[in-house]
Amino acid sequence: MSARQWEKALWKTQPHPDNYIPPDSFLSSLRKNPNFKPYTYWPLVLLSCAITQHIATIFIFIAVFVRLNERLLDPRVLLWVSAGCFFAGYMLWEVLSYSDLQVVYGTSNRTKVLKSSLLVFLALMGLSPVLRTLTAATSSDSIWAISACLFILNALLADYSSMKTGAQSQERLTSVISMNAAISSSVVLASRLADDLAVFSLVLFAVHLFALFPILRHRLQVIPKPLQALLTVLVSAMCITLTASLSISVAIIYSAVLFAVTFVAPGVLVWAQKHKNEIRGPWDVAVPRINWPS
Amino acid sequence: MEPISIAMISDFFHPNVGGVESHIYMLSAKLIRRGHKVIVITHSHPPDRVGVRWLLPSLKVYYIPFPTIASSATLPNYFTFLPYFRTIILREHISLIHAHASLSSLGQEAILHAHLFGVRTVFTDHSLFGFEDAASILTNKLLAAALKNVDAVICVSHTGRENTVLRGQLFEPAEDDPSKSVVRQSVYVIPNALVAEQFTPAPEPPPLDTINIVVLSRLAYRKGIDLLVAIAPRICAAFPNVKFIVGGDGPKLNDLLQVRERHLLQDRIELLGSVRHRDVRDVLVRGSIFLNTSLTESFGIAIVEAACTGLYVVSTRVGGVPEILPEDMISFANPDEDDLLRALTEAISLVSAGKHDPASAHARVRSFYDWTDVAARTERVYDAVLRTPPMDLGTRVRRTMQLGPFAGPIYTTILIVECLFFLFLEWWMPREDIDYVQKHWEHARFTQVCIAR
Repeated sequence: MSARQWEKALWKTQPHPDNYIPPDSFLSSLRKNPNFKPYTYWPLVLLSCAITQHIATIFIFIAVFVRLNERLLDPRVLLWVSAGCFFAGYMLWEVLSYSDLQVVYGTSNRTKVLKSSLLVFLALMGLSPVLRTLTAATSSDSIWAISACLFILNALLADYSSMKTGAQSQERLTSVISMNAAISSSVVLASRLADDLAVFSLVLFAVHLFALFPILRHRLQVIPKPLQALLTVLVSAMCITLTASLSISVAIIYSAVLFAVTFVAPGVLVWAQKHKNEIRGPWDVAVPRINWPS
Repeated sequence: MEPISIAMISDFFHPNVGGVESHIYMLSAKLIRRGHKVIVITHSHPPDRVGVRWLLPSLKVYYIPFPTIASSATLPNYFTFLPYFRTIILREHISLIHAHASLSSLGQEAILHAHLFGVRTVFTDHSLFGFEDAASILTNKLLAAALKNVDAVICVSHTGRENTVLRGQLFEPAEDDPSKSVVRQSVYVIPNALVAEQFTPAPEPPPLDTINIVVLSRLAYRKGIDLLVAIAPRICAAFPNVKFIVGGDGPKLNDLLQVRERHLLQDRIELLGSVRHRDVRDVLVRGSIFLNTSLTESFGIAIVEAACTGLYVVSTRVGGVPEILPEDMISFANPDEDDLLRALTEAISLVSAGKHDPASAHARVRSFYDWTDVAARTERVYDAVLRTPPMDLGTRVRRTMQLGPFAGPIYTTILIVECLFFLFLEWWMPREDIDYVQKHWEHARFTQVCIAR
């Protein structure tokens, strides 16, 4: 073999055969896991709080429905509770808006909120007799199956991201689908109830839980971490107490699910990271860097 | 070496045009010139490209009636190709198949079936793929399965070889130390080439007062058209004597039209639409700088063609592009607006100072790349493959099972069902009934008749 060195060039005749593999330079530009930042356990647990809260709200809703259905709960009480929740939540939203100076809220915006909430209130009130008889021809088994599927879809597609400071919150398609799935599910469940007031109060409660609470939760993820953890614990505790008085075994299953989502799943993710093998090299599609006109 | 019968198999062939298509055609033509018999198997293009056709230097093409799914590729279905394949291989007395392009399922299936006939296999990979998205993961697994039992792999650039070795998992235990895995000995690098006669520079060198920058590419994201859109107005503002000539069509055409309109550059940026391959040289000779903004490129034949036509090349430093030309014929930039602007500015000053000689550039590229050389090197691969002993079915099954806990059993099942299907075909369409090819095209005879006329 000639003393000439092998070069990574196609245009010159190499002193080596075509299947020669240069021992040093072959795959020398291969980089493994170049931008790898390992997750640590506790921050992941904190991030999973949003998921826990969402699943807990679904469980709370189911518990409330069962109580209404078995006439253990007066619909009027539920109505007052959801109205109270709405005002508390709106106050919280206002407080957060004041502390976050970038989002400017005017009086016109408040009138808009008032108008749309009144509209939803009246529309639901008008629609509740229709909703009550909506699925009269369908058997209850199908309704349980449909609502279970829709709640699973809701939990899978919900938006668990936290709001970045300064960025306008953009509704993604998946979160819209998620909200629609939850509302449809509550509508079909409500159609099993006996009287119009119960239907009205359940659907109103569903709108608060699945349309307004995710927006608030999105916002709440910027608050201090201990408060987030406290909120998660409160929501989970409420979900378990509400269920425990109905059925102990279901309450145990719920607590197992919440525990798995909060503490086991982050652990699995941390463990799975050691299998991460990201391969980067000159063959990857380069990312063009362009100075967009400002 | 002794003349053999070779079947080139790919989804991508004439009447489509492109890098793989012309590679197969030129390689076949040169192998025929060296005395081999070559046929091509591809899918049909209804309504008029069907059946068996002959292309000019006695290249027989079989168009198999398979529907295509996307970008002229057929669906991988593993078994429906076997009856056609068996008949063609037997009647043409093929002793080696050469599959092209990793996304061609015809090629991968042919590699799977070839062992039934004692036919040896060579595979050429023409493109680069990543590892991260779902499509890459799936196609890489298909490739790894096909390449488990191939006899030799050819790649078109050194970067392409590193990529193919990783994608196809072309490792095997080292001979001296079985615990270490090394790259298989049968992975070759043989570059593309070009027909230098088709890319001659203009008879008189281009004027130095107006510099034309030529861009010939599909106008798609992967070709870095965003970079072109970003720098074209800045170059036009900085150099009043520079014009752009852009050939090609694609989804990013609108971006170019918009930037041209916004900056009132209608007389500075000429958009030609798609350019036929035979007109490429006529477009190239109008310019003195060729700009390539690709974000990924395995070989970059367009760059070599432009350099051969005597243009100075400015390109992004991606994929296999840094290997194809010596440093003094090409300027590199990172895929970054400011760096590309820097490289292009340097190139414009170099060209307007008259420091780039098209005629000598043409002579140099002509000496770098030649299809005859490519054919000779490919023939050496064929020779090496035919010298190695073929794998038996047991080895094949063992190697296929190494693919992984899920893919291994799946592909082993495919392999075994394929063998049973083959036995069924042997019974259903006996070899005696096949219409064997008695005579092939004889070029010497043809010339004789032509001269006699």
